[in-house]
Order: sequence, then C-alpha cells, then structure tokens
Amino acid sequence: MKKYDIVIVGAGIAGMTAAIYAVRAGKKVLVLEERVQGGQIINTINIENWPGDLGVSGADLSQKIYAQMVELGAEVEFDKVIKISVDDEGFVVDGEDDSYKASAVIIASGTEPRKLSDEMMKDVGKRPVSYCATCDGALYKGKKVVVVGHGNSAEHEIKYLKGICSEVYNIHHDDPIPADAEAIFVAIGRLPLTDYLKGFVELDEKGYVISDEDCKTSVPGVFVAGDVRTKNLRQLVTAASDGSIAATNAIEYLG
Amino acid sequence: MELLDFYADWCGPCQMLKPTLEEFEKAHPELKITRVNIDEEEELAEKYGVSGIPCLVFLKDGEEVARKVGVMPLKKLEKVYEKI
Repeated sequence: MKKYDIVIVGAGIAGMTAAIYAVRAGKKVLVLEERVQGGQIINTINIENWPGDLGVSGADLSQKIYAQMVELGAEVEFDKVIKISVDDEGFVVDGEDDSYKASAVIIASGTEPRKLSDEMMKDVGKRPVSYCATCDGALYKGKKVVVVGHGNSAEHEIKYLKGICSEVYNIHHDDPIPADAEAIFVAIGRLPLTDYLKGFVELDEKGYVISDEDCKTSVPGVFVAGDVRTKNLRQLVTAASDGSIAATNAIEYLG
Repeated sequence: MELLDFYADWCGPCQMLKPTLEEFEKAHPELKITRVNIDEEEELAEKYGVSGIPCLVFLKDGEEVARKVGVMPLKKLEKVYEKI
C-alpha cells in the first residue's frame, strides 16, 4: 500500500488548493478524484467572481489549477473513495481500485445535485432528465421543457432555457410533470457526498461534515474543505480558502 | 470500431473530456474517433438521440454497442472499451 503524508479526497477547487499548500510545505500528497478535476465549477461557462481572471470558464480554471498542483508535485489517482478507517500508523483510505495509507486526510468531496424522487421518475418515463441546463439546454432548441425547483439555481436555469426553448414550465418537486415537456431539468438543491464517511466523522443532519473555520473534523488528523463542510457561503473563493486552512492545519498536525 | 464524441464548444465537461479522449485515441489507433459538434450537426445528434453531453457512442459495424454520457477519467473509458 502506498503511503502519503496527506491524502485529499476530491480534486475540486478546495482539494486542489489544499494540495498546492501541502506540497509547497514539502509534504507527500495524493489527491483522489472519482471523475474529473474541477468539481462543480466545470459546468460554468463564464466566471465573474474569481479574482484576477474575469470571464474565465470553469473548465479552463480547473485545468490551470490542476496543472499548477501537478507541476508542484502532487500525485493524482482517479479512484472513488468508498471508506476511510483508522489504523496503527494513521489512516487507510479505500478506493474502488486501490487502498492508500495517509498520516492525515483532507475531505473535499463536494456535493452532487439532489435527484428526483422515484415517484417523480415514474412520471418522467423515458424522457431525458438533466441536472445542468447550461450543459444540455441547447439540445432542446425550440422545444418545450420543464424546470423542477424554485430556488436561485432553478431561476438561473429558467432564465437560461427561456433563451433557447419554445416553452419553459416551472413546477415544484412534488407537482405532476407536464405531459408535453420533452425534457426535465432538475434544480432542487444539492446534497453532500459523504456516504463513505458515515460512522467515521461527525456529520450534520443533512450529511455535511461538521466543522468551522479551522476546517477540523471530529477526528484528529482529518480535515475538511469546500462545499462538503458545514458553512453558509459555498463559493470558489471560500473553497480555496478552506483548502489553504485545511492544508495548513494538516501540516501542523503532522508536525 | 468507431467512436462518436458528441460535444459543444460551450460545454465545460466536454472540454474536460477532450484531453482524456486525445490520450485514448493515441492508445487505440484501431479506433476511429469522430468529433461531432452538436450545434453544427443537429441532425446527427437527433439521429442518435443524444440528450446530454458529452456523449460517447461506440459503434461496431455501424451499430451502437455502448454509450456513456458525462465526463470520466481515462481509466473508466478504458474499462468501457474493454467490455465491448
């Protein structure tokens, strides 16, 4: 089993920033990512609140930060983490493909869109369901679609789709789906990706990892950064901020 | 064997998949990869019933044998290909 000073779960902005700080402090760092570096931000075309790079796309920003992290010496494996446990020397992080030893762990696994209920999926039938209007909206040019949800992100999706589709219905998450809607866009909030942490660190009732600005969890040596942490403002800059704090405290923990 | 890669210029996940596909292409010269811009080739996207991108459609003798929607690491892509 390969051994690292710090294993970081998730290569979003929080995880990658943590990696940059940790490798610059001379630590041996592994970043584990299930899908692709960048996390949620890769769906955003035009970012206007990341200082110093007005209008950068999420994909470009992610590639830049990824290149920086790798250049500085962080290792990356594409593996889905399924369990973390404690052993005599520190922690064992089990992925689907391999296991990794770590003296400290930083959790930065982020969130995923909340899915439609099984009941609603019956109503959907064979129609396509999308959780990203900016990704898939253009496939429904001039067609009728429905947006499920009423929050800020739903409003954003509706505005975007109105520029493309002939009709954009809007319903609550428990309303019937209009029969003539050809695609269903879902924006009913997000959920933390923390199933693999149940019984290991303390989670709140929604599943977020409980911590405050120091990014420490209920387990010494385990830190948390980014959207997966209990916090009020989930933004790129607060993800990066968490990453630096989690890494700095992990470095201090390692001594 | 052929691989259709449905993408769009404005699609972030498609951009993230691009370098992965380029590596995949190098490793598999036997595979013909065709990039399909869904804004320019709407009919083709409709013919294959593409409902989300990036969308990879594997064809064997012109028949669809596998389909994957969404971005994925090279390792996963190799696994999909092995199974065919």
